[in-house]
Amino acid sequence: MAIAASRRRPLSRSQQWFAASALTPIMLYMMAFTLLPMIWAVLITFFRYSPTRQGGLLGLGGGNPFVGLSNYADLFSDSPSGKLFRIAVQNTLIFALAVLPLNLALTLPLAALIESINERLKTVFRTIYFLPTVTSLVAVSLVWGVIYNPTFGLLNLVLRSLGLKGMAWLSDPQTKVLGIALPMFCLIITYVWQDMGYNLVIFIAGLQSIPDVFHEAARVDGANAWQRFWLITLPLLRPTLTFVIVMTMLSSWQVFVIFYVMTRGGPGNATRTLVLHIYETAFRHQEMGLAATMAMALFLMILVTTLVQLRVLRQEWEY
Amino acid sequence: MDIQVRRGLSRREFLRVMGVSAAGVLAAACGAPAAAPAAAPAEGEAPAAAGEKIILRMWSHQNTAFVQTNEQLISKWQEVRPEVEIKYENFPYADFIQTIQTSMAAKNEADVMEMFGSWVQSYAKGNTLSVVPEDIVSLSEARDLFYAAPLDGYVWEGKLFGMPNEYNLENGAVLTNKRMFDEAGIPFPPEWKSWDELVEHAKKMTKWDGETMTVAGFHYITGDGLGFLLWEGILERGGEYFAEDKVHLNFLTPQAEETVQWLADMAIKDKVVDPLTFNGSTNWVGDSFFQGMVAIGFIGPWIVPVARQNHPDFPDPWEYVSAPYYGEKMAFAADAGWGKVVSPNSKHIREAWEFAKFMTMDQANARQWNVGTGTVPALKSVAEDPTLLNDLNWLGPSLKVLPYGRFVGDLQDRDFVWYTVIETRITETLQGQHTVKECLQLMHDEANAMIDSKIGA
Repeated sequence: MAIAASRRRPLSRSQQWFAASALTPIMLYMMAFTLLPMIWAVLITFFRYSPTRQGGLLGLGGGNPFVGLSNYADLFSDSPSGKLFRIAVQNTLIFALAVLPLNLALTLPLAALIESINERLKTVFRTIYFLPTVTSLVAVSLVWGVIYNPTFGLLNLVLRSLGLKGMAWLSDPQTKVLGIALPMFCLIITYVWQDMGYNLVIFIAGLQSIPDVFHEAARVDGANAWQRFWLITLPLLRPTLTFVIVMTMLSSWQVFVIFYVMTRGGPGNATRTLVLHIYETAFRHQEMGLAATMAMALFLMILVTTLVQLRVLRQEWEY
Repeated sequence: MDIQVRRGLSRREFLRVMGVSAAGVLAAACGAPAAAPAAAPAEGEAPAAAGEKIILRMWSHQNTAFVQTNEQLISKWQEVRPEVEIKYENFPYADFIQTIQTSMAAKNEADVMEMFGSWVQSYAKGNTLSVVPEDIVSLSEARDLFYAAPLDGYVWEGKLFGMPNEYNLENGAVLTNKRMFDEAGIPFPPEWKSWDELVEHAKKMTKWDGETMTVAGFHYITGDGLGFLLWEGILERGGEYFAEDKVHLNFLTPQAEETVQWLADMAIKDKVVDPLTFNGSTNWVGDSFFQGMVAIGFIGPWIVPVARQNHPDFPDPWEYVSAPYYGEKMAFAADAGWGKVVSPNSKHIREAWEFAKFMTMDQANARQWNVGTGTVPALKSVAEDPTLLNDLNWLGPSLKVLPYGRFVGDLQDRDFVWYTVIETRITETLQGQHTVKECLQLMHDEANAMIDSKIGA
């Protein structure tokens, strides 16, 4: 008798109920703290909603009237909130598009270098570079704020000791570096400094997962270090690279703490990013309907960006 | 062999599980129906039954001095009214605003809240605060008891929605560093007859290291400071910042232009402050003065308890000195400060207002609150008490100007006008990005566009 191919046994009724009940708490949690707030956020985008005004059912209607697509239209209008929204989008794009290449340019070669040294030193360097990543972003922002202080900050002290002029790093609205406002440039440096350890560790893991046989074969064929890196390592690192690029862009779109602590969006909205603007609209200006609308816009922008990245970086092979 | 094939979870069973879960979540999220909000209690509302203990919740923000003082006064209240227990909770400042807003949406906010006066009108407009009962205090009585500037922040459409503890004052006095005055050979304390005299002294105390200003002679470039100086300058020059309709703002008056020009001249011509290195976010006056980087600082006396906590080792002697004013008579606008409001959803509105009155209108208690928190009194009898200066010895110059202030008024979105419009545009002007006329036009257009969006125009 032919042996039938093994079939996965279906769960018994008691096993099914066990699985369902085990999953129910996390499902309840996800629904209460993720799904329901998301539904609520979408709902209030159609209302001029503020919790400081009394409404009808669930606080909607009454003092929080239904306004249809008016909040969405406002984002593209010449109203003060529309203008600030577009400034915030522009600043966020500049930040995200600057952070990504800078981060990759620093972390990938660094990971390759660390991977090439002996095991003990590897651990030391990995720890050193990862320390900023595990440090509180508030603490990092405060310390860098002191470094950038124009009067007694470390940067200007060094510059003045070299006979150069100090700069108003976080408050000069007119100076630009590579076309980016100086305060924004400083925040990019701060963020990359804090965040690079995360990508570094991921790249190191990715490099370690590449089988040595490919490098050895290339070495035998006479490839030099640069050729092995460019033609062997980089292509085989593509899945890791895809992950790093997507995650870096995702987090760059949503950075809040350094902007809130270091500049609060100034000088003159030069560092006003989208999440900071959403926060201020919701809790400072008490316009939650409008803030939720901006959050929806942010969600769509991140979604489109991520889909484009996944499409461009997809690969049709694996090893 | 008979093979029994068991089905996995069917679609119907899966949907049943999801439906039960969703119903459970909705039930938890919605909670029990909230009590219907009430305005003032009905006349002759019966007090709690004899022997029944009433529990009131009180919320405030988390500031060590505020919390300690509130706790002391709550203990005092418990001795007088043991049948009304106060459960006191406090929150970090940023969380406090969100907590109030989200709990109001769920109608389960605290019975009594210590709210900042600038917020009160927006909550009152939205019918989310209770009106003070006439027998607790009528509006006319309150006007006799409290200064106009702090009280009017708690008034909306002729009704009183709370009682202030604090007069949030920025104008009338400036912080001065005695050591710097002595080093510059300037008599201390100064008695300035005009802003020009102050600026002359400030110029002598301004210090540079090459092109970097290391000591600002007069630092006034802050989010709060620029707004308050703007209003004061306009009012003292005989102008008005509200337009004729009392809703919109008018920055296109000669008085506004003179005031902004004066602010710009101090930075650009007199160079008593470098707006690039001394402003609202860099070397903020509340810190830089107590780090020895500012000779004369424009900031309200509320900073003193904060500075004592943040800069306990500051060695230089300092004091508040009366600031000069423009013209014949002082006139300025002030925010309403911290005070007590009551939720319309409270189940014991009467007792809540009695507690709020205990904290704000009893002279001894109000005095204790001001001394404990280091704030300027809103209650006239406390401010006029000559022994107050024994406990708050830096307040002397500030107390003299209290009668000359008025409430800043309903700006629709106070923070937008103050920080997004005034602070941004005037700082940019001081930094050379706009002329004075351009600045005024920008402020006028942006502030009024916001007002239009708020009033639905």
